[in-house]
Amino acid sequence: MTAFAVEVLEPDTAGVAARRHAFWARLGRLTWIAPVLVALAVTTLYPTVFLLALAFSKSTLGKPFRGFVGIKHFATALQDPVFLSAIGRSVAYALATSMVQLALGFLIALLFTSLLKAGRFLMSLVLLPLMTPPVMVGIAWKLIFAPAGGLLNGALITYGVVSEPISFLGHPTLAWLAIGVADLWQWTPFIVILCFAALSTIPEGVHEAALVDGANGWQRFWHITLPLVAAPLSSIYLLKLILSFKLFDLVYILTFGGPGFATTSAGFAIYRRAIEQFDVGRAAAETMVYALVIGLVTLPVVRLHQHFERREL
Amino acid sequence: MRPSGRHLWLGLAAAPIVGFFALPFLYLIAVSLKTKDDVLNGRFWPTTPTLANWPAAFEAANILGFILNSVIVSLLSGLVTIALALPSAYAVLRLKIGGKWLSDVTLSSYMAPPIVALIPLFFLLKTIGLLDTRAGLVLIYSFANVPVAFWLLMPFLRRMPIEIEQAAAMDGAGPFRTLLQIVVPIIAPGIVATFIIVTVLSYNEFLFASAFTFSDATRTLPVGISLFQGDRLVNFGQMAAASLAGIAPVYLVALFMQRYLVSGLAHGGVK
Repeated sequence: MTAFAVEVLEPDTAGVAARRHAFWARLGRLTWIAPVLVALAVTTLYPTVFLLALAFSKSTLGKPFRGFVGIKHFATALQDPVFLSAIGRSVAYALATSMVQLALGFLIALLFTSLLKAGRFLMSLVLLPLMTPPVMVGIAWKLIFAPAGGLLNGALITYGVVSEPISFLGHPTLAWLAIGVADLWQWTPFIVILCFAALSTIPEGVHEAALVDGANGWQRFWHITLPLVAAPLSSIYLLKLILSFKLFDLVYILTFGGPGFATTSAGFAIYRRAIEQFDVGRAAAETMVYALVIGLVTLPVVRLHQHFERREL
Repeated sequence: MRPSGRHLWLGLAAAPIVGFFALPFLYLIAVSLKTKDDVLNGRFWPTTPTLANWPAAFEAANILGFILNSVIVSLLSGLVTIALALPSAYAVLRLKIGGKWLSDVTLSSYMAPPIVALIPLFFLLKTIGLLDTRAGLVLIYSFANVPVAFWLLMPFLRRMPIEIEQAAAMDGAGPFRTLLQIVVPIIAPGIVATFIIVTVLSYNEFLFASAFTFSDATRTLPVGISLFQGDRLVNFGQMAAASLAGIAPVYLVALFMQRYLVSGLAHGGVK
């Protein structure tokens, strides 16, 4: 029943058929994006709802949702100095490592850009740290920083800088520096690649025009190069900030949060609370607090990026 | 550009940078060749090189099994991720389904640290009976990397000349056939780059793997290596050998595929 049937139908019924057809067409279109919607539901929507429910309930890893406890877990988390300082350390670490690595990565990218062909070769070399599993990065640096037989202590003693080996990973500040160095080793190459790409989008003619106008190297960098890459640089900073907030593997391998709680990042604190102490209710509350803090810290950077992008248009 | 004098200086400036990035890798090789006493003297290269650590490491832990688990899980999840992300990215860009809203939500979902999903996903796997299985890890990684793949594929799709797709549509090809037979072959390098990146992300992943697997039959390499320094006697030489064995597959891929990788990372990272 096709052409003929449509002909004899009342106009109203034809409208229903058309709407029904539109409904199926829309559903057909939806199947295109269904995979992403499912992925988002599983990895983002469901965890958020589930965490919220856990955070307000008495829950262990074995037996979740055993009664409503109100804001008790949030109150405990916000009064726990160990957790609060873990959050503070994570924020400071993310801001500092991102800034240092952006500056360093940008300088290396400038250097590689000037090296032309050789720079491209070096680029494929620095790709390797990025590909290295973070656990293995941690182990390599642990061997370098080890008190007995570590490369760094060996060198320091050989050149007479120190007489006794230093326990780098056993000292609160030095242990953070060690994690920072391993992080820098792994992620600066990524920033170099992104900065290199951003620099290569600057049209040749711009520099030549400035050269004709008599601008020196520094002037060209400050007034031309930097403004042109400001927008991508801010998005690279944002990306590294997000990656730094995920810090976990290096802490686990290099220090396991120690000495004491000195290098316990927020992520590591939550992991231990949930997986070792099975206190998932409180861990859920801590996770929500941490996620909120990340949002608050990254928001100004997002705004900055939007500002640069608008200026470009 | 001035002649080679300037280049020489720039080259000299690049040397310590390359040295720094090569150092941990070279040191791992050196330590893997050291005897137990040699490890403690703190020199760079071994005084009496030995290969004994390598077989010893493979005996002390099920390294080969861990590597196999990692390879299976990462390859499968890489394939599924691409299969999930490619049609969606194409639909958002060309068929105008989902639109800016979907790409924004997809991107921002990547901002939350994975620790947020750790506990809920643990219970999810427990409920569907996939805790401590490779299938469970494949499921989680496939979904978790979709935003990354979505974001990396987008610029490749965007640069594809739309006229070719329009011509295919004129010839009566539906959107799905156009995607499969016209678009995929043209942006193949971008798909390869994206596949490698999401596969390596899964291969390297540690947080989920350490919480969702607890037997040697399912453990991936990073988890296996992390145990190496835990309950077993710490032996630096064996640890270095095991680590190198785990890094080797990724470095091989990186060396053979570097051209794709640099372009994939560079285009996807910055809008």
